[in-house]
Amino acid sequence: MTDLTLLGIAEAGRLLARGDITATALTESFLKRIDAVDHKIASYITVTADLARSAARQADMELKGGLRRGPMHGIPVALKDIYETAGVRTTGHSALRKDYVPTIDAETVRRLKDAGAVILGKLGTHEFANGAMTPDQPFPAVLNPWNTKYQPGGSSSGSGAAVAAQLCMGAMGSDTGGSIRNPAGFCGTAGIKPTYGLVSRCGIFPLSFSLDTAGPLAWTMEDCALMLDVLAGHDPNDQGSAKAAKVDYGAACHRPIKGMRIALARHWYEGKDQVTPDMKKGIDEAVRVLRDLGATVDEVTFPDIRDYHICGRTIITVEAHAIHRQEVIETPEKFGYTTRRRFQLGAFLTAEQYISALRFRRQLTLDTRAAMRGYDLVMCANHWGAPDKFEEPQPIFHFFGKPSLTMPFNVTGQPAATICCGFGSDGFPLSFQLAGRAFDEASVFAAGAAYERATSWRSHRPKL
Amino acid sequence: MSSPKAPSLEEFRAHAALTGLPLTPEDIEHLHKGYVGLLELMQRIPTHWAWAAEPPQVFRADE
Repeated sequence: MTDLTLLGIAEAGRLLARGDITATALTESFLKRIDAVDHKIASYITVTADLARSAARQADMELKGGLRRGPMHGIPVALKDIYETAGVRTTGHSALRKDYVPTIDAETVRRLKDAGAVILGKLGTHEFANGAMTPDQPFPAVLNPWNTKYQPGGSSSGSGAAVAAQLCMGAMGSDTGGSIRNPAGFCGTAGIKPTYGLVSRCGIFPLSFSLDTAGPLAWTMEDCALMLDVLAGHDPNDQGSAKAAKVDYGAACHRPIKGMRIALARHWYEGKDQVTPDMKKGIDEAVRVLRDLGATVDEVTFPDIRDYHICGRTIITVEAHAIHRQEVIETPEKFGYTTRRRFQLGAFLTAEQYISALRFRRQLTLDTRAAMRGYDLVMCANHWGAPDKFEEPQPIFHFFGKPSLTMPFNVTGQPAATICCGFGSDGFPLSFQLAGRAFDEASVFAAGAAYERATSWRSHRPKL
Repeated sequence: MSSPKAPSLEEFRAHAALTGLPLTPEDIEHLHKGYVGLLELMQRIPTHWAWAAEPPQVFRADE
């Protein structure tokens, strides 16, 4: 029989609906693989095997009785360990929360459970979605399944690594400056940062109120779409939650893209700073594929990538300090050495500097919108090249060096997805981003899924 | 407003004492490097705005 852990969510959902496989068999396949393989990459902090088996049995009973809740019914998924889960510890990968057991689920977790998804467990993350994974934290660092000497990207590190290593079918991540798209890119999965306000953050550890978003990582864009179908929706308990029209993202994946107009922000990744030659080649080839599918791709000039980078970093530095101030005063020794300094730094910035960054964000949002006029999507590189090796000590601050290629869409709030476009000579995945207008995730999914169907990259998995 | 001048380590130490944070000498050294680096990058952020250039109270992409 086919290895069930190689199935995508869409395909597994169809097989479950027809009764060709059971949720129990699917869940057992993943639990078995976690047991056999996860010690090599440490993607899970907590495996909730008993709860998963019980949820799978429930799904099987309902499916057998003719009740199908939707495409996520019986699908095994996992959660970045900043999502609160009733009765299951939620650590934030930190000594500060290593024994914290919430009493209620995050709204997103509630939605996944209502849709019949099976939760396999909680995944490693950069501490509180910000600090690097360092030896002074209570859980091991997550390793990249393509080469375990390298980092998987962060902060949703376990989410990217577990999806790539077939240790869950989909995973929840969070993205404040690129934390879904970085691990998706470095681990070769798909992932989407939804429009700010589309998915509830209620019950998720915050990092930066005005930039935090929650979203899925999965092996394909269609699988991400099926997860987002369940996750999207207004939540009055999230102050940033928007009232947006319901869209069928799964269906959007099958929309033709002939006539779609894509603005290529080449100057972001081939300007002062350059992506690797392999990455450039991969993206150029992706442009050709999208043109062959009927899309128009034009080079367009956007604001300088460094403007988005520093705007976002300033806002995150101040808001993260406000959120964690009490604990960096009372128990600084309990943070990892990078996390502590990143959270302390905000104490040195002034109110005027913060407000200037907020004003700058508004200006960049308007300028980006103007540059996109007449285009449906923005396309650009997802990351500069290979991930970093694990080396100690790690850099304390991550705003030095090349600017973040993911930050523009955190600053503007637009939806942005990561799509794998091949592999470099070093064996690491290459990827590009597609970003849509606010609340137009459908166009992102349409183009991303069309690209994936037209190429063979989704058949290549890491060997563990 | 003009961008603040990068402080020396001594000036930064004096500033650090006012933040209310318990900082080790090593923390202060790292934070000084980070702060100076951040200030340099922040030169890209305009400091002169129309007085009515109000940032959104709650950031909403659907506005």
